[in-house]
Amino acid sequence: MVYTKKHPALLIMGILMLSLGALIHFSLMDGVISHLHLQKYLGEMSSLSYIFGGIAFIVGLWQLVWTHKEGNMDYYLSTVAGGIFILFIAMIIRWFVAPSVAVWSKSFGPVMGAKYLHEVLGLNYIVLGILTGIIVVNFFKVPTWAENGVRLSRLGLKTGVVLLGTLYSLAELQQLGGLSILMVGFFVLGSVGLVLWMGARHNIPNSMGGVLSAGMGVCGVSATVAAAPVVQAKSVEVAYTIGTILLWGVACMFLFPIIGNLLELGHIQFGAWAGTGILNSAQVAGAALAYQPDGIETLKVAEIFNITRVLILPIIVVWLAVWYVKREENAPDINIARVAFEKFPVFVIGFLLMFTLSSTGIFSPANHYKGKYFDNNIPAEKLLTEEQVLSLKNEQTKVQREVRQAAFTRLIENKKVMSIEDDDTLRGLVNAKILSKKGNKILKTAHKTVRHTANKIKKFRQFITWLFAFGLVGLGMQITFSSIKQAGGYPLAIGGVVGTLKAVLSLIIVVLFVHETI
Amino acid sequence: MDYTHILLASHGTPGACAAENATFKLCQPGHTIHHLIVVPDFWKGMLGDDWLNNAITQIRYGKYIEGQLEKEIQIDINRVSSTAEAQNITYHYEILLGNPADCVVKVANSSHFDLVVIGSPRAKKQEGLKSRMHCETLIRGLTIPLLVIPNA
Repeated sequence: MVYTKKHPALLIMGILMLSLGALIHFSLMDGVISHLHLQKYLGEMSSLSYIFGGIAFIVGLWQLVWTHKEGNMDYYLSTVAGGIFILFIAMIIRWFVAPSVAVWSKSFGPVMGAKYLHEVLGLNYIVLGILTGIIVVNFFKVPTWAENGVRLSRLGLKTGVVLLGTLYSLAELQQLGGLSILMVGFFVLGSVGLVLWMGARHNIPNSMGGVLSAGMGVCGVSATVAAAPVVQAKSVEVAYTIGTILLWGVACMFLFPIIGNLLELGHIQFGAWAGTGILNSAQVAGAALAYQPDGIETLKVAEIFNITRVLILPIIVVWLAVWYVKREENAPDINIARVAFEKFPVFVIGFLLMFTLSSTGIFSPANHYKGKYFDNNIPAEKLLTEEQVLSLKNEQTKVQREVRQAAFTRLIENKKVMSIEDDDTLRGLVNAKILSKKGNKILKTAHKTVRHTANKIKKFRQFITWLFAFGLVGLGMQITFSSIKQAGGYPLAIGGVVGTLKAVLSLIIVVLFVHETI
Repeated sequence: MDYTHILLASHGTPGACAAENATFKLCQPGHTIHHLIVVPDFWKGMLGDDWLNNAITQIRYGKYIEGQLEKEIQIDINRVSSTAEAQNITYHYEILLGNPADCVVKVANSSHFDLVVIGSPRAKKQEGLKSRMHCETLIRGLTIPLLVIPNA
């Protein structure tokens, strides 16, 4: 079979991307850029448009004029059109649609504290991208030339998780891992047990109870896909379960960031809550990025929870297999070792490998990966100015504590923060609001100058965010209304109870016991 | 009227079973029933947004669902074909994947049928897969009479 479709779409997308790159390069879109406040995206707008526009143009031309034959090259290059299609949508949403929504929302003024409507509702490029994917598949259908490549979105997400492995410190991994094992362990086992118990009370078939408990308890659709053959679920039971999970997942992806904003949850708190309370693993990543679209701290927490869930999946599937065989006379023999081996998520090994490699400092100094790090080896032009030093000197008498006074004096003498300890002390001074607004502003500037993210790492983080954005837009294209419509029967009722309980209880636990520091 | 070549669209639901019974009452020995079974295309989206599983798990799931649907369809085919055989009616079947109404119109207009028989939709609160026939598509697309049998 020849997979490549002779269609001009890829070539057209390539031309459009190259044109966009050129318009930005030659400053022909300055009005739009200024209106939408796109200055921070200028670098990626130009480079990504040129790189992927070039790829799309060359491959598009080749697809259109060449005679294609069966083979690996045909298969792999046939995916380019779909991949570029998703990327093009993600670009338009991130650079134009989401900023337009933000400008429009800001025109109403703050609606909740200092927050604007789009911030409260989480209407950023991630949520809008997923929504666009859902709209494309349900109202327009994914074009046939793009079908093969749309499946690449899964690869984007898995690659994103693997690369995310480089950005954790050992302490983070230990503490987040411990927290996720506790929370996921409790809620997964709790919800699996609760679904099986409710199923038995309502006399629903074991096959339905089994598949529903996996879906509700572990990681949504992925767990349903893994468990359905093992518990011999009937087609209608699978349809009910997946419909219910998708319905819940999509609703939670929009609701969780709104509730998180209302309760002003921190990044760790929100990541832990989304990672436990949202049924479907794809929507966990979506909600985390929706909550913090321009950073990856929430995503890092949520993904640890996702990984813990997926590591528990083989155990739950084996448990359900044994549970089902004990209850059903006609159940087929289960090879437990094979089930456990097949369900093991290989990409988690990649995640751990990347974490190990980055910890050795093989790519870059190890502390650079974790984000902002202390470095006071700064050029002369970044030192405090004479005027700033004079302002600080005028306020020196306000600083009473000996430690603060010492750090403050060293700052004035050297015109820069001299050590991590001094930096922490001066941050405490800012928080204590002892100095004037102007004085605090100078201290904040001094802090930002010595605490920064390495440029290389900033780009790497941006790349990971793009991988997730790409993956999530593509996954949006795989959520069909016709499958959501199948939600019904006992799965909807039981899923409603268990899903709500899980979301509410995990929120209570997160608010009461999870702190914002690692 | 004497119907010699009836297109029966059924897939095991109570409404479809009522349509099967009505078809056998209308069809005389020696005549033909063409049994159309449509696998609704929502099954194509039933991998949902799974991205965590390995390819082997997804393939195993796909084959399992295919097997399940095949088993369910075989039960329908066996039921209708055995009744047809008992009544000396010629029986053919056809399985298609797609939108139910589109498939009925496509098959009905592709051969010389003189009647299409379908069951009525089930009551709203009744459980089952949600894949209803789009009546307007049928009414506009069919060039032969359509008989809808109520699910009594």
